[in-house]
Amino acid sequence: MSSEHVDGREAPPLTETIAPGTATDPDVKSEDAATVSIDGVEVEVPEGSTVIEAIEAVETAGNVPALCYYDRDSSQAEKIGPRSECRTCMVETEEHGMVPSCSFPAEDGLSVSTDAEAATEARDVNLDLVLSDHNLRCTTCGKNGRCELQDASIDNDVEEPRYGVFDDREAYEPLDDSSDFIQIDRNKCILCNRCVEACNDVQVEGVLRMEGSGQDTRIGFQNGAETMEDSTCVSCGHCVTVCPTGSLVEQDIADAATIPLPGFSQKNSIGKSLESSGKETKGPMTRMKSDEPKDLTSEARTEENPGDWL
Amino acid sequence: MVVEDVAGGDVPVAAVGSTGVRALEPLLVATHDGESAFVTNADVSDVEAAVSSLSDGGLPDGADARVSHGDAPTSLPAPDLDGFAGDRAALARCGWIDPRDPEAYDAAVGFSDADADAVLDAAADLHGRGWGDWSQDEPLGGLWAGVRERDDPAVVVVNAHGNPGDALLLEGDPFAVLDGANAAARAVGADAVFVYASEGDEAAAASARAAADAGDFDVPVEVVEGPAVYRAAEPTMAIEAIEGNHRLEARLRPPGPEVEGVYGDPTVVHTARTYAHLVGALAGASSDSRVVSVTGDVETPTTVELGEAATVADAVDAAGVGEYTAACVGGKFGGLTRDLDVALAPDALSANDLGTEGVVEVLGADECPVAFVGRRANVASETNCGRCVPCREGTTQLTEKLRDVYDGTYDEAGIEELSRVMASTSICAFGRDVPRTVRTAMDEFDDAFEAHAAGDCPTGACTGEL
Repeated sequence: MSSEHVDGREAPPLTETIAPGTATDPDVKSEDAATVSIDGVEVEVPEGSTVIEAIEAVETAGNVPALCYYDRDSSQAEKIGPRSECRTCMVETEEHGMVPSCSFPAEDGLSVSTDAEAATEARDVNLDLVLSDHNLRCTTCGKNGRCELQDASIDNDVEEPRYGVFDDREAYEPLDDSSDFIQIDRNKCILCNRCVEACNDVQVEGVLRMEGSGQDTRIGFQNGAETMEDSTCVSCGHCVTVCPTGSLVEQDIADAATIPLPGFSQKNSIGKSLESSGKETKGPMTRMKSDEPKDLTSEARTEENPGDWL
Repeated sequence: MVVEDVAGGDVPVAAVGSTGVRALEPLLVATHDGESAFVTNADVSDVEAAVSSLSDGGLPDGADARVSHGDAPTSLPAPDLDGFAGDRAALARCGWIDPRDPEAYDAAVGFSDADADAVLDAAADLHGRGWGDWSQDEPLGGLWAGVRERDDPAVVVVNAHGNPGDALLLEGDPFAVLDGANAAARAVGADAVFVYASEGDEAAAASARAAADAGDFDVPVEVVEGPAVYRAAEPTMAIEAIEGNHRLEARLRPPGPEVEGVYGDPTVVHTARTYAHLVGALAGASSDSRVVSVTGDVETPTTVELGEAATVADAVDAAGVGEYTAACVGGKFGGLTRDLDVALAPDALSANDLGTEGVVEVLGADECPVAFVGRRANVASETNCGRCVPCREGTTQLTEKLRDVYDGTYDEAGIEELSRVMASTSICAFGRDVPRTVRTAMDEFDDAFEAHAAGDCPTGACTGEL
């Protein structure tokens, strides 16, 4: 597979040089099989389970959106999350108080209540906080009707998010329309991190990373590129398939689900977009790996290249 | 001060670290025949005069304080000067012992050779100090016993990031900190000690490095620096920095570092203060004193050590503060209070919704508490790690809601709801602590919030936009 023997190009990056910018989480799964009580119903789950697996097995009293939780039944999904970033899966336990069900080990004998007042409030507030930083322009969004955030909001009876939406606050980030295959709209990104893990942990491509802090936290590229076109992306598309919102969409269907109002499209929904530079239009379908990701481990960090700590 | 210029004669001269009472520094201490003379804000000529007096067999004239003591005291004889209010235990040797000389520490205290069980006994009731301590306000004993029972070799982390008291210890008495960490390594079966300091505390890191090289410890000691931002002291972010992650983010829990820490190994993370108190406990001393740094609207930031029965007011007095509007007690996101008559014991602080970090930030006489919490919430929104929604988005919305007060909308219930959820669902102590500052300010200065919403700032400080 490697092209290094053919033309001297470097081999694809090894996993240890991949710098996704995310914490190395501990293993949050249970060590043994367990019987857990969910709203009074006893549920048995196998070893390696978190509380949410028991919750999914029963009809719960309270709605638990678990928005950022990736629960597709595949071996690849095992490598994605739980990130436990959105905290819309909080439940009350007798033993430990409020816990995030997606990332709390299913301990034997654990007693969970999904409709405790504090837990319901926490899930509602956190879902509204997610929406506060989301560009809620569903009518021009290619994921309209197949969006996990939209589904979660509908299921949770969100009519008017208490903190408003992204539109109310700040300037938009330009749409990254530079790649022939994948369009990025960071204004819809909820930073669930699925794409970063699909790229680094499943595909082992080392293209995407989490960068910045506070309100500047965003999905970026490990080689420091500004646009998808200049990244080391090989257009495998896995990031798109795991994205729960319209933040990452296939170019061909970027407008697939927009509501047909004349003049309104995903592309012009926010004004600015970053376009392809036009180079290599007849080039290979996938970019070569000549552009190595920056190694920002402590050994490689220098004054000129201090990493992204702040 | 260039003490080497006057050294070399019969009178030994040593440059030592800070005592923590920086307003008096450079502080010259001349010791002879069971008595010490203290000259505050000394210069080279004071040192020359002291050396000359000592050569002639006497103490210098015109000292600011004198203390009688036994021969060869092993810790700083506390003078009757502002800032030396209580019996110092953890800070006892800061400003007294030569931080570069392992033999000086060995002579003063003696490197501990207590076996694992003895160390576990000494740590049983010792409570961790500071928000960078994984066992903050909890006894170390149970956690350590659990780590010891695990099969994997463990790791010991000294978290000296960001707290002035921890940096002071690393700078002024590094062998005590490393001695404590080394004893902890024996107790939990660790094969490595990492000392973690802020890039902003260069002297602390340099002193720790020199001590790590000069000391003879059971396990290798490595000093690692992290970025000089508040969140970097959070115990799991400290571990991330030690592992070399280019971006700092809190880790999920449970399980905590005591199960999966540095490179996946069981890890104990405690502050430099905690290890210094362990050294005292190993010597049989009581550990019920607190290192408190007084910062904010003070002439010179001061670090003192007081008994747990002493109050926040005592610490503020020791720092020479007269007038104040309030104090933010317990770190950057501590609790705001006007009533400083609260004991430094963690239980008493917690009962008053104040923090136990060991930093008291003074708000000066003309400071507006509403503006203070608005700025503090804004700092939180700009400097959080960005990982979890209640902290990342919550701090932003909290700041917006505080800004709205200036526009006439004081959504008290909305702020309380948001604060509750941030405090109960954020991944780490950063997001959990931020609402405390706002919550306590609303309790303590309810009138001021109402007045601001009506367009008036009682202190007159808020003339422009927040």
